[in-house]
Amino acid sequence: MSLSDPNFSPEIAPVAIWSQTDGSDALVSLSGQVNVYSLAGVWTDIRQKQTTWLEQGGGKNQALVFDASKVSSLDGSAFAFLIDVKESQQKAGGQFVIRGLDSKYEPLLHEFDPISNLFPVPVSKPKLSFVVSVGIASQNLLDDARGLITFAGHLAADLVWSILHIKQVRWGDFVNAAVEAGVAALPIVGLVAFLIGVILSFQAAIGMQQFGAVSFVGPLAALGIVREMGPLITAILLAGRSSAAFAAEIGTMTVNSEVDALVTGGLSPIRFLVVPRVLAGILVMPILTLYADIVSILASMFTMLAYGIPFINFYNGMLAAVDLEDICSGLIKATLFGVVVSAMGCLRGMQTGTGAAAVGISATRAVVSSIVMIVLVDGMFAFISYKTGF
Amino acid sequence: MDAITNAIDVQNLTVGYGSTVLLEKLNFSVTQGEIFVILGGSGCGKSSLLKNLFGLYEPIAGDVLIEGRNITTALGSERQKIMTSFGVMYQQGALFGSMNLLDNVTLFMEEYTDLTRGQMNLLARCKLDLVGLLPYESYMPSEISGGMQKRAAIARAMALDPKILFLDEPSAGLDPITSADLDSTILDLSKNLGFTFVIVSHELASIYAIADNVIMLDKGAKGIIAEGDPKALRDTSKDPRVHQFFNRIMSKEVA
Repeated sequence: MSLSDPNFSPEIAPVAIWSQTDGSDALVSLSGQVNVYSLAGVWTDIRQKQTTWLEQGGGKNQALVFDASKVSSLDGSAFAFLIDVKESQQKAGGQFVIRGLDSKYEPLLHEFDPISNLFPVPVSKPKLSFVVSVGIASQNLLDDARGLITFAGHLAADLVWSILHIKQVRWGDFVNAAVEAGVAALPIVGLVAFLIGVILSFQAAIGMQQFGAVSFVGPLAALGIVREMGPLITAILLAGRSSAAFAAEIGTMTVNSEVDALVTGGLSPIRFLVVPRVLAGILVMPILTLYADIVSILASMFTMLAYGIPFINFYNGMLAAVDLEDICSGLIKATLFGVVVSAMGCLRGMQTGTGAAAVGISATRAVVSSIVMIVLVDGMFAFISYKTGF
Repeated sequence: MDAITNAIDVQNLTVGYGSTVLLEKLNFSVTQGEIFVILGGSGCGKSSLLKNLFGLYEPIAGDVLIEGRNITTALGSERQKIMTSFGVMYQQGALFGSMNLLDNVTLFMEEYTDLTRGQMNLLARCKLDLVGLLPYESYMPSEISGGMQKRAAIARAMALDPKILFLDEPSAGLDPITSADLDSTILDLSKNLGFTFVIVSHELASIYAIADNVIMLDKGAKGIIAEGDPKALRDTSKDPRVHQFFNRIMSKEVA
């Protein structure tokens, strides 16, 4: 019996009594109300006794007789029980007899014939060799890269198209995406930027204090924030918020065949779904980054005040270290991050398989790929900066 | 339990969303073991009524008694007790996409019974066999057709052998042969195991084949416009709406 069973009433619990008759046939008399909630104990018990009996040499040319005349009711699970016992009996070469069963249950007893179908032979999956596994993984990686390149090509073409056909861009979707990715992100970007500003300055000040160079922390932090930290943390936040959101949104549309409907209607899903979102990413990323830069530098300013650096010294030091080129470099990088993050979200959304789980997988892949792409772009940018001095 | 208790009693039930009332002051009963079909045109609130019957939505007013117990006011363990006395098949199947068919069926057994894994699997295979899906037990829901998903959903609804089964459009989208097979499965279960069925359906052929009793809902009347045996309604009803429905007459011809 199950304690969690809400329908359990003790007075009608099923009972099965195992007894050996003279010719060493076995008799099981089943009684009570047999249902799925209360059957477990009886089922296990009788099967164990049957197995012992069969192992002791019973079974061959002997019969297991089920007396069901005292059963008050049966449900589907009872038939599974009977079938289980019957199958073991037949396998051992014995016979199985049911007597006293209410005639209304007769058709159900034969509903599942032949019962051997219910006991499939477990098929073990052939194990792949190491070489084959590596091959498959490499192939998947190549396929993914090909998909990415194809998508990038389509997207570039459609972005050019959107400049040439500015009126045909779906500006409504663009505004929605920009509000969701931009305006709604202001609080979290502000909070994280503020904390990063504080932490960066504090950590730098601890080290610099040893060399009596606390006054350089301000310019250093400001430069680091404008060129690197601002764009990077904003992009990572956008990847977590909007890239995942785009992937889930487009992924759900893919699962519901909405993307197929666009294609069969002669519309390009990239033009229709991806372009407005990527344009939104291009718009909001530099703005959010600028906002993050300002909040972060202000936080750094207040932190340095605690180390006895007045605002004006911080300000002058910052002006000497950071020029317009640094800010532009950061913002251009941020714009590229915006393209990469929103495009990866859309791509993973469009690659969604079927079912609810697939949408979750797409959202995860969107965030992971976005962050990988952010780091790649960042690295490329660092290389270009090093070579050109920009 | 009292043998004469109805499977379901609906008392002054008003169905709708927020301030939108779809159906008003419904009263009907479903007796134990019968196959009860809810009919009506699209958008008249059939599925909403069904969701009120099995307690997924709270009705605007009125009561639903499942085997004499009021589901609209029940809470906690009392509510759970009522919830396990019936099974539901949703219109789209609503199978769990991350599990194969066998695991979909065994899920509720794992929660409510002490059966071993092997016993649960055997029981689930029986259920899948009943709906003709035994060869597909290890398939994922996304790998089978819509009609098969529905049949798998029926198997899942039957997992704990509930006394009442609610089926939302079971034969829609099935081919005629599968649909007829399903009808005969429903008849078997009702006759042999005493299942009560409450079915929302449009399929006239299937309704004539299985229904003991029908109610017909109407959007304009916001209520029941006909009830009884479907063949009798087809042949004798004077109501033009009922006549039109059962004889598949186009709306143009009536207007």
